[in-house]
Amino acid sequence: MPSKLSQIVSKMDQLYEYDREAVSQNKLKPWTQFAGLFAGEHVAGTEFVIGAFFVLHGVRAVDLLVGLLVGNLLAVLSWTLVCAPIATRTRLTLYWYVRKITGPGLTAVYNVANAILYCILAGAMIAVAATAVGLALGIPTPALTDVFPNSVAWVLLTFSIGLTFLVLAILGFEKLSRFAEVCSPWMFTIFIAGAVAMLPVLGVHRNLDNFWEIAQSRIWTGVPTPGQEQFNVWHVTFFAWFCNLAMHIGLSDMALFRYARHWSFGLFSAFGMYPGHMLAWMCSGIMVAGVNRQMDPGLMAFEAAGFAGLMAVMLASWTTANPTLYRAGLALQCVTPNWPRWKTTLIAGLITTVLSCFPVVFMKLLDYVAIYGLVLMPVGAIVFAEHWVFPKLGLAQYRAEKQGWTFNWAALAVWIGTLALCFVMPFHLFFRWLPGYFIALVSYTLLNLTFGRERIVRKEPAKAA
Amino acid sequence: MLRKWLRLFAVLCLAGCLAVPVLYFMGSFDAVTYKGLLLAVSIGWFVFATAWAARS
Repeated sequence: MPSKLSQIVSKMDQLYEYDREAVSQNKLKPWTQFAGLFAGEHVAGTEFVIGAFFVLHGVRAVDLLVGLLVGNLLAVLSWTLVCAPIATRTRLTLYWYVRKITGPGLTAVYNVANAILYCILAGAMIAVAATAVGLALGIPTPALTDVFPNSVAWVLLTFSIGLTFLVLAILGFEKLSRFAEVCSPWMFTIFIAGAVAMLPVLGVHRNLDNFWEIAQSRIWTGVPTPGQEQFNVWHVTFFAWFCNLAMHIGLSDMALFRYARHWSFGLFSAFGMYPGHMLAWMCSGIMVAGVNRQMDPGLMAFEAAGFAGLMAVMLASWTTANPTLYRAGLALQCVTPNWPRWKTTLIAGLITTVLSCFPVVFMKLLDYVAIYGLVLMPVGAIVFAEHWVFPKLGLAQYRAEKQGWTFNWAALAVWIGTLALCFVMPFHLFFRWLPGYFIALVSYTLLNLTFGRERIVRKEPAKAA
Repeated sequence: MLRKWLRLFAVLCLAGCLAVPVLYFMGSFDAVTYKGLLLAVSIGWFVFATAWAARS
């Protein structure tokens, strides 16, 4: 067993070897690259679903505006004040920093958990794309409450799209990534085009004098669709904040910000949040209201923008699924017996394709996004405690690395314990991560204060007699 | 030189993607024309932007 684990660890280290060293000063990137990266990354296929769900959950227009403004601001501040400072001080990826703190064994567990979560996310993308192709082929989209596939045709459709995405991800990941860069500005314009074109359908006058009235009475009405729970300003605020929890509070974007010249570069995440997670969500809300609140991204986009809309749904889903499948394959590679990258991507893709057949993966997307962030959040809290809190308390940092531990058991206990507590918390799923974060932060610190064997000995200056 | 022209056409097509729905909203043409024009400028964007990116 120990030799098996050391093999896994050794393979995992080889995979991430190229970014093992801290980024040197001459490799730091200008702010424009960060603004561009964020702007390109946050207009995806899921935006068609998320904005529409706010309408279905009966969010009021004022609550949506306030919630998205505040929630996205909190997300930007989380990148700026939590993720970027650690990244610019260490210049390491999360992988290597977590390895120093939790040991290679727990890092492997983290990798596999990440891979599974990636697969589910890519599955949702495939299902969204299937709604676009299904519309062209006359295959009905499953109902809002469906958990299992509603027809053989839907299964065949998601399988075909999933396998196509998979083959493309295996054969030409890098070229496709460059093509995705071409897609992103266009996709954003299609969101706006679709929303503008839906305004006459909703009864908005050409001089826009009744826009606010229509927004309140026909789009964000405050009345949920039957079977959907009512959301208010807090749900919207927290959703916008935790939508990328794994990236900011969970610290995955250390990989990005280690190239930043200053921690304040975290503010450039606003270039992704406000156009993608505010404007695009509002646009998809307008589009779903224009099709009588039918949760069918393909139908919404086709009614609003014709074949260009269908193209946007397909490309937005595919350009997000492509790197997601690649990352899942990469994360799984470390726990396989010397399998090449294509083989692990194939396994990840097959799992993803099977998952995509189940409509629940995109019909419950908001809950899934919450769970995704929640599962990885405790690791972010552990890293934060070790980076900022331990030196203040005189606790030794990076004991796993210094003492050669495979597992940092305190970190594992805090991770599992926090998730267990979050599971039983008596309030809405969206709000659980925040107390969970502080529970993880405090409990990891207390465990190390109580059971930590090694302290930094502080030399008190000799007092003058 | 060609790169400059490709970029210019790409940007014009992208601007077209925004202008076409606004003109439709203002009542300049019907839904079928709007969807056809939007598809045309979208294809234009992909042709010119991909060629521009390939030369960058």
